[in-house]
Amino acid sequence: MMMAGGTLPGMLAQGIAAHRGWIALALAALVLLALAPLYLSPFHVRVAQLFLLSAALAIAWSLLGGFAGYWSFGHTAFIGLGAFVAGLVETGWTWPSPALAFAVGLLAGALACALLAGLIAYPILRLRGIYFAIAMLGVAQVLGELNNSIDAFKGTMGIVLPQLAPRAVEPATFYYYLLLVAAAVTLAIGFAVKVSRLGYGLLSIREDEDTARMLGVPTERYKIQTFVLSAVLTGVLGIIYAHSLGFITAGSVYRTDFSLNMIVYALLGGMGTLIGPVIGAGIMVVLTQIVLGRLLDTHMFITGALLVILVMLAPRGIVGFVKPILARWRGGFR
Amino acid sequence: MTLILQTIVDGLVLGGLYSLAAIGFSLIFGVMNVVNLSHGIIVLIGSYLSYILWRTLGIDPLLSIPLVMVALFGFGYVYQRGLIQLAVDRSSLLASMLVTFGVALMLRNVLVLIFSPDFKSITPSWAFNFFVIGPITVDLVRISALAASLVLLCLLALVLGYTHMGRVIRATAQQDLAARLCGVNARHVYGLTFGVSAAFAGASGAILGIVLPFSPPDEAHWTINAFVVVTLGGVGSPSGALIGGLLLGLISTATSQAIGPAFPNAMMFLILVIMLLVRPAGLLGNAFSGSR
Repeated sequence: MMMAGGTLPGMLAQGIAAHRGWIALALAALVLLALAPLYLSPFHVRVAQLFLLSAALAIAWSLLGGFAGYWSFGHTAFIGLGAFVAGLVETGWTWPSPALAFAVGLLAGALACALLAGLIAYPILRLRGIYFAIAMLGVAQVLGELNNSIDAFKGTMGIVLPQLAPRAVEPATFYYYLLLVAAAVTLAIGFAVKVSRLGYGLLSIREDEDTARMLGVPTERYKIQTFVLSAVLTGVLGIIYAHSLGFITAGSVYRTDFSLNMIVYALLGGMGTLIGPVIGAGIMVVLTQIVLGRLLDTHMFITGALLVILVMLAPRGIVGFVKPILARWRGGFR
Repeated sequence: MTLILQTIVDGLVLGGLYSLAAIGFSLIFGVMNVVNLSHGIIVLIGSYLSYILWRTLGIDPLLSIPLVMVALFGFGYVYQRGLIQLAVDRSSLLASMLVTFGVALMLRNVLVLIFSPDFKSITPSWAFNFFVIGPITVDLVRISALAASLVLLCLLALVLGYTHMGRVIRATAQQDLAARLCGVNARHVYGLTFGVSAAFAGASGAILGIVLPFSPPDEAHWTINAFVVVTLGGVGSPSGALIGGLLLGLISTATSQAIGPAFPNAMMFLILVIMLLVRPAGLLGNAFSGSR
């Protein structure tokens, strides 16, 4: 494969050229989503907000889980850590304006996530497969419990976060746009990773880590970099999510279902792709929030059944399911 | 001193239960590498079956154990052959984990619909008897729970060690290709293993019902416990599960005694993570080759 010298700008330019269609599609979707609050009802704006958050989280998770095949079962650790560090920083001191407080909180939260990820990366990334997954689950549980039980962290009491939305703007709409920006940035970063040397390195790790290492791919460094990047992105999304809630407790940000949903979305859409997590999040959010919203009693049953059916019918995700059909369809016209 | 002794006794009782609840998980993991996230819900199905038998027919929970085991053996066999095997064939092992998660959600919802999300408990007539050994008090319930767990674990060890079925299961766990070449029907063995696993999970559920109150959302707790036990003890062997379970029981009672009742889970996971990093083969160190 030609690597255009392997420099990041070179590879980026090459990647953009190779994926023009997708980029046009993403930009069109961005415009459409930016206009959405104008014609959606408040309820649907909230659903769309949840969709953006879910899709962005699933992409952030995918950097490590989808590209490198390291399935983390505890990414909610970074949502919680980011949210609480930001919350403690923002409420611990008096800041001249909410925007400044948010900026400092965002920075502190992201830094904390990077620090934690950097500290545990080397030992924990030596574990593979299911052992890595469970170790991450453990990390999330320990962090959540500590946050909950140590009074100084206010996990049980909760933190009221400063309101960021200007008075003239509806908060739901404000956070919608904030999440839209965050999701777009996450997607762009995901794209940059995918087409860069790092992305190819991660794929080689997923396919055969030992061989990759033998061939000179710096697997250890790539894994650690990606882990930290994924953690920071997840943390930032967690911070925005926490502000959109307005009030957080340890129970509302350290949630196992966050960790699981990220995997479900990515798997449902298509593991190792960028569009996959977005499609997966879209389907699941629409299904659970709108279609199943009325069936509160059997909500869990139907979600579970869907999961089983989807894995059975489309084991490679929607993308893996649609791609061959598309290819055949295109072939028919040639 | 009394306090320490009492803590140890309580920890061992809890640990026996953890061991029994985890052995099925450990077997499935060891034999077919499937992480069964629906394990906890099978434990709870055992509790509820025993609860129904006790409420409607007045069968003592300890006597209902064989009935529960037979019923869940059948369930486990069908579950594996009808669903898990298909999922493993059609996609990957990790995806099969998602299937078991989906099933856990479904069954949990069914349990909530039938039994309500409230806590239930099984209290046979002898539930409040206790006896005193020196300075320590022991409830009859707890000591019989520990005894039943140990008896069942020994039974399983004997079955695995000395019966035809046990030998075939162990052979398939070691090298499924070689076992198949020797004429073993691997799929049937997988089904049997799942059946045995579900039967013992159910038995632990029936015993747990007399010791602790239970409700459907507890299932996650039992699945995670099973994983910790397996990581501590080592995969696929009753002795590993026993050591892991007893350790976990001791750790969690000692932590809530010494540090505070909010910390056993955090301590448990801390030890889990440290164990994975320092000694991923478990204390007994068998068959953890896939971890690195």
